Amino acid sequence: MDILASTRQAFALLLSGDAEIWTIVWISLRVSLIALAVATPPAVVLGYALAQQRFPGRRILVVLIQGLLSFPTVVVGLILYILLTRQGPLGSWQLLFTQEAMIMGQAVIAFPVLTAFALAAVQGADPRAHETAVSLGASSLRAALTTLLEVRFAVVAGVFNGFGRVISEVGCAMMIGGNIAGVTRNIPTAIALETSKGDFAQGIALGVVLMLFALSISVALGMLQGRGGLK
Amino acid sequence: MLFRFAAALCLTLAALPLNAAELRLAATHTLQDSGLLNTLIPAFEAVSGIKVQLAIGGSGQVIKLAANGDVDAILSHVKTQEEKLVASGAGLKRHAVAFNDFVIAGPPQDPARIRGTQDAVAAMQKLQSAKARFISRGDESGTHVKERELWRAAGVEPKWAGYLSAGVGMGQVLMMAGEMQAYTLCDRATFAAFRSRTGMEILSEGDARLYNEYGVVAVNPARFPGVQAAAASKFVAWLTSAEAQRLMTGFRIGGQQVFFVPATAR
Repeated sequence: MDILASTRQAFALLLSGDAEIWTIVWISLRVSLIALAVATPPAVVLGYALAQQRFPGRRILVVLIQGLLSFPTVVVGLILYILLTRQGPLGSWQLLFTQEAMIMGQAVIAFPVLTAFALAAVQGADPRAHETAVSLGASSLRAALTTLLEVRFAVVAGVFNGFGRVISEVGCAMMIGGNIAGVTRNIPTAIALETSKGDFAQGIALGVVLMLFALSISVALGMLQGRGGLK
Repeated sequence: MLFRFAAALCLTLAALPLNAAELRLAATHTLQDSGLLNTLIPAFEAVSGIKVQLAIGGSGQVIKLAANGDVDAILSHVKTQEEKLVASGAGLKRHAVAFNDFVIAGPPQDPARIRGTQDAVAAMQKLQSAKARFISRGDESGTHVKERELWRAAGVEPKWAGYLSAGVGMGQVLMMAGEMQAYTLCDRATFAAFRSRTGMEILSEGDARLYNEYGVVAVNPARFPGVQAAAASKFVAWLTSAEAQRLMTGFRIGGQQVFFVPATAR
């Protein structure tokens, strides 16, 4: 197999605006961004509550969230499959092998990452922001918003990390998406399929796009850290 | 102490592949998903003392593995491509191993009304005119090659919203078709193995064009010096022996015979 020829072909595919490839990229982005949009608000609320509030079971929840950070994505796929299959408890929704199922999977996978980052961010926040807000007569909701605004860069860093985790995830996406062309075929499942067919050009092209995403994430994270004063 | 342990571990790991003879075999999804390989491989290992390392893929992938010399032997079901592999010099000789047939399966409600249509091409035309939901393997597998052959014969370009190209193995395509109440083309053995899990039914069968033959090809050691030529030729000889053929014809799914030998050349 000629790697050079495949790579040349890959860039030709990318630059020619090959519809199939850009559809796959678009599906990947759409699914992952919606999943993050769904998962981020509850994750930030939970992260804030775990950092600021004292309630029974809090320690256990924190340990649980940290444990879930490395939860195998294929197990998420398995659980969702069992729930969504026709005979399963949510079978009537008929969501298996749809983008909605993939969004659910990625939201579940991203949730602990987002929560853990929000938790760490709020814990690391200067407590004076919260105290000042309260002493100026802010409600607890208002004070929470003040604190979160203070640590917004760290929270957004969590979103980027969550994006990095879900955009490249293949196991869960393959299991509950089914890798259907033009519907649930995203970058990772397409690369897996093309490699299995021995067609390396499209795989390389998509791999390049995926690595560009990863690179932009780390550049963005670096800039955020600079602005958030985290160093 | 630690160093000696590490050294011993390295030596053991290095020695492992040399202990038993090994055969790297690539075989198709349908042979794996139907369960036949679970019968054949242990029997061969017991008789020969050769350990089989199995890679599963679509026939297209399996044949590419052989063409690149990445495996020692292959089992696949696209006769023309197997013959091309031999002609290219990458494979030795092709031997027919077993045969059965493809069926068009679908939901019991049969919205496209193809039940009882024996003419496979006519059935495919009905699927198109009903714009029925159809799940294609879409992975250059033997089943996918056969499916495209049928669309071509039907003069149909399979491009409607309900035509889904899945890019996964036979078993998973059947599970998906069961979930989505869709039609699909499937070999009889895998269909039988998944029948109770999918709730699908055979709706069209019996067309001569649905013939499905499996072949074995050993990779040419003259082209790829790294291959386990002795193990591969033992495997080919065993697979075409009376003993292996008895195992294949004796293989039952739900009491039904799903593989037949000797394969008649067509």
